[in-house]
Amino acid sequence: MRPAARFAAGFPKTGNRFDSGEAMAAISLSKLNKHYGSLFHAVKDVDLEIADKEFVALVGPSGCGKSTTLRMIAGLEDITSGDIRIGNKVVNHLPPRDRDVAMVFQNYALYQHMSVYDNLAFGLRNKKTPEAEIRTAIDRAAGMLGLHDLLQRKPKQLSGGQQQRVALGRCIVRNPQVFLFDEPLSNLDAKLRAQMRIEIKRLHAEIPTTSVFVTHDQVEAMTLGDRVVIMRDGRIQQIGTPLQVYGKPANKFVAGFIGAPAMNFIDVNVRSAAGVTSVEAEGLRLTIGPADAAALAIHSGRRVIMGMRPEHLSLGAGAPGLGFDAHVEVVEQLGSEILLETRVGNASITAARVPAETAIARGDQVRLSAQAGRLHFFDPETELPIS
Amino acid sequence: MFGEQQRFVLLLIAPAALLLLLFQVVPIVIGANASFRDWALYNPKKTWIGFDHYVAVITDPAFLYVVLPNTFLFMVLSVAGALVAGLALALLLNRPFRGQKLVQTILLVPLMVAPVIAAIMIRWIFNDQFGIVNVVLEAIGLEGQPWLVQRWSAFGIILLTDIWLWTPWFTLLLLAGLQSLPKEPFEAAAIDGTTTWRVFRYLTLPMLRPVIVVCVVIRAIDAFRTFDIVWTLTGGGPGRSTELFSLYAYVHAFLNLDLGRGSAAAIIGGLVILVIGVVLYRLVDRIAKA
Repeated sequence: MRPAARFAAGFPKTGNRFDSGEAMAAISLSKLNKHYGSLFHAVKDVDLEIADKEFVALVGPSGCGKSTTLRMIAGLEDITSGDIRIGNKVVNHLPPRDRDVAMVFQNYALYQHMSVYDNLAFGLRNKKTPEAEIRTAIDRAAGMLGLHDLLQRKPKQLSGGQQQRVALGRCIVRNPQVFLFDEPLSNLDAKLRAQMRIEIKRLHAEIPTTSVFVTHDQVEAMTLGDRVVIMRDGRIQQIGTPLQVYGKPANKFVAGFIGAPAMNFIDVNVRSAAGVTSVEAEGLRLTIGPADAAALAIHSGRRVIMGMRPEHLSLGAGAPGLGFDAHVEVVEQLGSEILLETRVGNASITAARVPAETAIARGDQVRLSAQAGRLHFFDPETELPIS
Repeated sequence: MFGEQQRFVLLLIAPAALLLLLFQVVPIVIGANASFRDWALYNPKKTWIGFDHYVAVITDPAFLYVVLPNTFLFMVLSVAGALVAGLALALLLNRPFRGQKLVQTILLVPLMVAPVIAAIMIRWIFNDQFGIVNVVLEAIGLEGQPWLVQRWSAFGIILLTDIWLWTPWFTLLLLAGLQSLPKEPFEAAAIDGTTTWRVFRYLTLPMLRPVIVVCVVIRAIDAFRTFDIVWTLTGGGPGRSTELFSLYAYVHAFLNLDLGRGSAAAIIGGLVILVIGVVLYRLVDRIAKA
């Protein structure tokens, strides 16, 4: 039997929320604020609607307020102002235990002196669940996470990945309305992180539960989230599907934050003459297609910021008016492709997706070309997109 | 013979080693030597008598049925009492409240009082004629008690004094222990819907266990050799009913001036505490590794 099917058959007496048709667990944050003292305003007017069973990733650089937001949803931090609703119920001042949420912490937060089994059982024993039911629930969770052989061990005897699986299991057995993840993969090495990412994705498919996942790693956010919320300095910058935030970034910050390697930004001057709009920088002159030209025309004669994603640059002449010469400074051979660090005038431009077999060396002069319609333009003052 | 580094290391250790030798090892050797001799101040011949003193101490009914039980009872109750009170205060102080720092400082006051002075204060408080306790009792119509001249009330007052003196020490160490515990398991427990009692029973206590055990070991060994407060409060009386081990050795050596007998008692006590220490340390080791 597939794990999902086994799980769906589970929790006979504790009552499976999805079967019993209990309230939907949508989360709604409105005008949420958090001050620490009078000086530090950690979260500023956050508005966010998370649908039932949706997986939302909160992403941003350290100190952007994403963890604080999550901890306010969990009830571990007081809120300064605003409202938090879980399943249409205002939970602003409810203690964590009355919010029916489960949380996975960055450093696992397992009870070190208890066996894995007791760790998993702890939350259920709090609710005085009969031991027989606890055993059934743990058995199922352990099956999904491959923990059967580890149940009698202490957390200390487990690897980081195993410990984080136990932490996931501790959440699953409780069958809560909401899963909260606070950078759960940050303490794992790169390979394990990729594995656990898939594991979490699979779990969410098997047990669809409203989830909020906080991370500073945009790859995790993009791969896991149904929607991605990008935060910076306590404010939400953009909310959207991975494709939306990648393709239509709401500002220069989002454009630079999402995507790896990061987007190239070049200061360019807009020139509009004889119905042809072009942008110029030292060593670079690109003709802008009709889609962007209209918006750019009004900036004619002014400086704007052009964004080019490294993966949208290719080697060779390309379309007319979109090529430029670049001086190769660093060649990063990845095996599957080459990353080129190049210099064009004063700007340094990264190009990805150069075929791995290309014969290219530091100091070479190459022709790069941008893809029509894949250029981004930002107002240098507001950093908002020009479109 | 030694490399340069070893010589340097030895040089650094030398002063401490010398002090240790002069003030610890030599006196112990002298004391051990004395314990095998008939060595009283009025009989300075120091005749070698083997284990006679040891046999005398071990077969002394006062030692067996009063001093030894008193010592162990005192050790267990004093440590347990101060531990419970200290833990309660540490838990209280571990949560922020207005004036927390002030309360914390005030609670440390007993640590700054010399035990002898504390004992003198307590002796006056419980004095049967002038003590404040009896004054208060009589004022509310109860009968004053001769607190320090009845065995169990005297013993209780000694205990109370010791617990009062040592509670801040437990509080200080346990509070430091509490504050060094990781926050996340407690947050996880809060989200898991754990009651305060279950958090204390299944998280705080087990996580604090290594600190508790170390405190208990240090204090237990220390309590075994308590002298000053008993000496000041009751002098071991009434009769010899509140005599602890160190008083027993002291009385034999310096009041009866039987240095041999006193030394033998001290050595026996040393051996007892050695055994207790080893057992307790084993326990610490086991618990720390668990």
